[in-house]
Amino acid sequence: MNERDRQRKRALIAFQIFIYGYLLLQFGLQLHMWATRDW
Amino acid sequence: MNLPLINRRSGNGKATSASPAAGGLVTLDDHDEQSRKAQWSADKWLIAGALLLGTNAAGIFGLPLFLFGLKKLRDATKAGLSVRPIMVTLIGYLVMVDAGLNLQGWILDLVGNHTLIYRVLYTAWGNVFDAGYFWHYNQLWIGGASAPGEKAWEVALVLVVFPMRIAAAIAFLQMKRWGYQWLIVTCWFGVVIWVGYTMNMTVFADVRYDGVVFPVIGWWIYDIMYITPFLAIPYLHTVNREIFSD
Repeated sequence: MNERDRQRKRALIAFQIFIYGYLLLQFGLQLHMWATRDW
Repeated sequence: MNLPLINRRSGNGKATSASPAAGGLVTLDDHDEQSRKAQWSADKWLIAGALLLGTNAAGIFGLPLFLFGLKKLRDATKAGLSVRPIMVTLIGYLVMVDAGLNLQGWILDLVGNHTLIYRVLYTAWGNVFDAGYFWHYNQLWIGGASAPGEKAWEVALVLVVFPMRIAAAIAFLQMKRWGYQWLIVTCWFGVVIWVGYTMNMTVFADVRYDGVVFPVIGWWIYDIMYITPFLAIPYLHTVNREIFSD
């Protein structure tokens, strides 16, 4: 694996952390709303 | 893809009809023919299973067929035949089933929304998980779900993403290069869908979760399985692309 491949892999991992983090954030926001609103 | 190593495990007697040990002669053509047969024999079960899985209601009957097809494919791989890798098979079929389920569900909400069965099923589902399918159901000019933004997602994804995803998955399963490339495109589309759709759910949460039986967690448990195309992205970007032919 050359340096460029390594960089690509790292970028992919970073992007995935961002995406899954975003989804968790949305889930967390919705849970928070559920806890604080009269649904 | 398994390289066509002739009689690589000729001792186990599986799927190799003529081994040198038995006095037969296996040529490359024989090996290709046996591999093709084994592949088709597994694919018949996998296709039948995937079709049933994609229907939603009959999905439970599709699973054993699909698993049996996978077992056949694994046996062929172990016998040294040149068949499709298990990971390619799993990703291809699961992406196709994902697109099939979404396509069917949303097309029915678009055009079958006044049928009795969907007035019952969708509003019942909406009542339990997502009031976007309950609140003012069938009361807009277009019918079906009235949740803000929902119809825009339905049209965009039903007309563009899901047909593209099914076409790409079929070509991917045939180990074609364009199928591999388009599967990457459509899997990244999955990222766009999830980022946009979950934001929509949060922004209009007061519409979608108000008064439902099982808010928030219910929706996430039900929908998280549609994340499959997402999970395929790391594999698609790291697999040796040379296994897909032009």
